[in-house]
Amino acid sequence: MSRRLLLGVFGKEQDILGVTSAARKSGYKIVDVYAPYAVHGLDHAMGLGPSRLPRVCFALGLFGAAVKVWFEFWTTAQDWPINVGGKPWNSLPAFVPVTFEVMVLFAGLSTVFAFFYVSGLWPGKKAAIVDPHVTNDQFILVLEQSDAAFDISRVKRLFEAFNVLRIEERLAEEAR
Amino acid sequence: MNLHQAEFNLSPELTRLFSVFVLLGVAVMLVGLGMAPERVWPSLLLVSYFVLGMGLAAVVFIALQYVTNGAWGVAIRRVPEAMTVFILAGALGLAVVFLAHRSLYSWTAAAHDAGNTAAWFKRFWLTWPFFLARAVVYLLVWIAFARAIARNSQLQDRDGDVAYTHRNARLSALFLVVFGITLWLASYDWLMSLEPEWFSTIFGMYSFSGLFASGIAAIIIFAVALQKLGPLEGILREDHLHDLGKLLFAFSTFWAYIWFCQYMLIWYTDIPEETGYFVKRMQGTWRPLFLLNFMLNWTVPFLALLPRATKRTPSLLVKVAVIVLLGRWLDLYLIILPPFMGHKPSFGAWEFGLMLGAIGASALLFFRALRRAAPVPMRDPWLSDSLHHHQ
Repeated sequence: MSRRLLLGVFGKEQDILGVTSAARKSGYKIVDVYAPYAVHGLDHAMGLGPSRLPRVCFALGLFGAAVKVWFEFWTTAQDWPINVGGKPWNSLPAFVPVTFEVMVLFAGLSTVFAFFYVSGLWPGKKAAIVDPHVTNDQFILVLEQSDAAFDISRVKRLFEAFNVLRIEERLAEEAR
Repeated sequence: MNLHQAEFNLSPELTRLFSVFVLLGVAVMLVGLGMAPERVWPSLLLVSYFVLGMGLAAVVFIALQYVTNGAWGVAIRRVPEAMTVFILAGALGLAVVFLAHRSLYSWTAAAHDAGNTAAWFKRFWLTWPFFLARAVVYLLVWIAFARAIARNSQLQDRDGDVAYTHRNARLSALFLVVFGITLWLASYDWLMSLEPEWFSTIFGMYSFSGLFASGIAAIIIFAVALQKLGPLEGILREDHLHDLGKLLFAFSTFWAYIWFCQYMLIWYTDIPEETGYFVKRMQGTWRPLFLLNFMLNWTVPFLALLPRATKRTPSLLVKVAVIVLLGRWLDLYLIILPPFMGHKPSFGAWEFGLMLGAIGASALLFFRALRRAAPVPMRDPWLSDSLHHHQ
């Protein structure tokens, strides 16, 4: 099913921030906001919840550390016991530096890959650029015309209150 | 928001409470000097160094803001500026210890180390007049820098001249270099030489890591207190606390990193001169304290400060800061006291009394010092950035 979208193009950071929170407060469905750079406070204006990436980071960091401690124990104390400086075979202090490094590696890489996954990025992916201007000097708010109650003239008035540069209607062919 | 607020006065109830703390502390100390001098002198060294360290950490905090052009902390800068008074208070405590009880340092006994010709430099370094002269130099240098930086900031309140900011940036850069070297040496002199046979080349860094973490914890507690009591109401935002929380998280972890560096290298090398330090602190009833130290200074703050919400909720952040300060006390206890207590740690009226006295004196001095200037640097060029600080 195709979706009917309404695009508002804005030229200033404070306008996109203002119009986004105004649109959200009026109950319009925000599909996405495009900006040439990371705009501080935009996530708040869009009503996005906190990122879930820290949980991936924590869980995989813990997993990496646990696996590494087990692996060092297995290599130096079980499978091929090695006497290093007369220390006990299972010497936890000696494992700590490498465990720390592996934890950082797991936590860091897993966060990056989880980010690629949730944002649908992979090699060879065609960039879905709503308008070339969002890579340069303009900001675009995309609303979905979700139901019959969606009153275009009211939305246009809202956009105009925030110095909209132009308004476009589009059909999105596929859901995503 | 009204920046031109009336002079802030601590409520009479709180003033009375803290004065009672100070009186109790002084009474316990005087009685203790007669009844248990072997425990009161090291404890006095402990609280003096603790208080001094918070004051130094406050100057480091201010200096870091200046050299990095950090705007976010400007609105709360009067908190660390007032905390610089702790340097004087700590110096006074140290002076009492050094002048009245030099035998706290076993190397002051004449016979010490006489047969060991290899240690000629140590014998030269650890002579009492030289020790005192160094202490005077460290303390005077720190006090001079702290006063100059705080004074420039307060003079700026009058005319808003940006030259004060530039002057303080230069002073701050110089201070950070001088402080790095002097604190390193001072911690060798005052803490490490309590056990003159033992040495650890990372000790200065270890000493700094705990000092700065405890300083950030104290800044958090005082800032939140001032928000509750009035002067920083509507000025201290969640975003400031979030940044302070991140710093506390970072330096608590830095402490753990340095603590473990020292422990692991000594454990790995396994030389008797070095391991003695840890053997003393890990045997018998010392062991639980040894582990608790790591918990209070790192495990608890690390896990508690991981979620964003803890850093942005004043009541929670203050609780973590209190834990870090308790951890700092325990850390210093484990550095200073074992040589004097033998096989069993003890904690009683002497230690607790001095701790109370230090808390009371710090609070009274802080709120008194705060009254010297407006509660925010009103004409700092970065003030408006700091007041509207966002994460």
